[in-house]
Amino acid sequence: MKISQKITIAIGLFAAALGGVQAQNKELVVGSSATYRPFAYENPNKEIVGYDIDIIKAVAQKSGLQIKIVNTPWTGIFAALNNGDVDLVISGVTINDKRKQSYDFSMPYFEARQLIAVQKDSSAKTLKDLAGKKIGVVTGSTGDDTASREFGKTNPDIRRFESTPVVISELVNSGIDAAIGDNGVIAFRAQEHKQLKTVNDPAFPKEFFGIVVKQGNKALLDKINSGMAAIKADGSYAQIYKKWFQADAPNLPAQ
Amino acid sequence: MEQVLWFGWFRVDIITEYGVLFWRGLQMTVLVTLICILQGTTLGLAIGMARLAHSRHAPIKQLCQFALRWPATVYVSFFRGTPLFVQILLIHFAFLPLFINPSDGLLLSGETARNLKQNYGAFLSGVLALTLNAGAYISEIFRAGIQSIDRGQVEASRSLGLSFSRTMFHVVLPQAFRRMLPPLGNNAISLLKDSSLISAIGLAELAYAARTVAGAYSRYWEPYLTISLMYWILTLGLANMVKKLEARYGRGDSR
Repeated sequence: MKISQKITIAIGLFAAALGGVQAQNKELVVGSSATYRPFAYENPNKEIVGYDIDIIKAVAQKSGLQIKIVNTPWTGIFAALNNGDVDLVISGVTINDKRKQSYDFSMPYFEARQLIAVQKDSSAKTLKDLAGKKIGVVTGSTGDDTASREFGKTNPDIRRFESTPVVISELVNSGIDAAIGDNGVIAFRAQEHKQLKTVNDPAFPKEFFGIVVKQGNKALLDKINSGMAAIKADGSYAQIYKKWFQADAPNLPAQ
Repeated sequence: MEQVLWFGWFRVDIITEYGVLFWRGLQMTVLVTLICILQGTTLGLAIGMARLAHSRHAPIKQLCQFALRWPATVYVSFFRGTPLFVQILLIHFAFLPLFINPSDGLLLSGETARNLKQNYGAFLSGVLALTLNAGAYISEIFRAGIQSIDRGQVEASRSLGLSFSRTMFHVVLPQAFRRMLPPLGNNAISLLKDSSLISAIGLAELAYAARTVAGAYSRYWEPYLTISLMYWILTLGLANMVKKLEARYGRGDSR
């Protein structure tokens, strides 16, 4: 046998072996940034837990999907989805038009709004009151979008950080005047620190979190949506909601 | 905003949209690097000398050992033995708030502390961390450079009646400097690159600009390729400067 033939066969065998492995191992990788308590965070045993995690586990169980949760930094989470490092993302991702252009979203699983955190002595009542103040946000988050839209994308008063805990540390240390982020997370962090309070601007619109898949991955999206419909129907969704937010689950739109 | 494509895939419009951020980021990177090179070299010289301090006579001998050599050795060991990233976070979130803090800073408190923190907090922490880190590495370059000069030079100089400091500054250091230039140049280049780590605490330098764009558009090629090119040009410039310095001060040996 010629050496070139040998190489061809070897490559063929290798590819076949790889294909076999892939066919057997249908475990889906779920990306979640575990700095988002109570949605996703690491408990002392290094397990990722939270509302998002309970939701995806329940959905996966209903629709018969094998999943593995992988802690993925927020700033690279969409790149990980693009590259195929993760198959889906559940990480408190707000559904918006810009993201819909590049990714597909499941039906909503959480209703959110933006919330402002400030030091107790602050007199700010709305987003507009923060003009000229230093505002901390997580890079590329909805809070970032909100501040960028109001004060300009390249405004040096907007300070961007990698994760919510860092933003809150900076606020506690007076490096910034205010933090903007998803209400669930900001409220949770603010009650951890006595010197902080939250400010609710009634002008902030209603938002929804969705599970994200690569654009066009309809097979997976359908499975997720049917699982989601199932947990909403049998009451396990309401249970998970109550467990994490001590409140009754709101009625979410189907799309 | 209208999409502008270069070569069919490079979305240049998202870079120009954030152009101000890249421009200010470039200036910040250059500023931080220059300050840290200057301060780091000065600090490195002092620490390097402290590590070499010795004397044969009773009180000064112990003084050199306990007040100079030991602290300097511990300092170098700590800053070379821990990651720069950790040092930046430690200084910004733990060490500096101890001294500059609106409520109970040891050095500054009240409104001045708040203003300083908000406008220059990340800059101060970043420059401090990078300077201390560079000082540790540069001190080793100085120590090695000084030790590489033959003892006969010192002996000859001292027997000609020159004082220790004159011997150091007029005989040993000029020769040592020539040998130290290449490693010092290397160090300046790594300093420039390491400055990107300061973006983690929200300093608006080059890496911060790229992270902002990546976060806003979930596109990674454009912003990171852009700053790679900028860093590359900057390091080329630095390398060129070192080469010129070597040509100028390296002549002595090839007479």
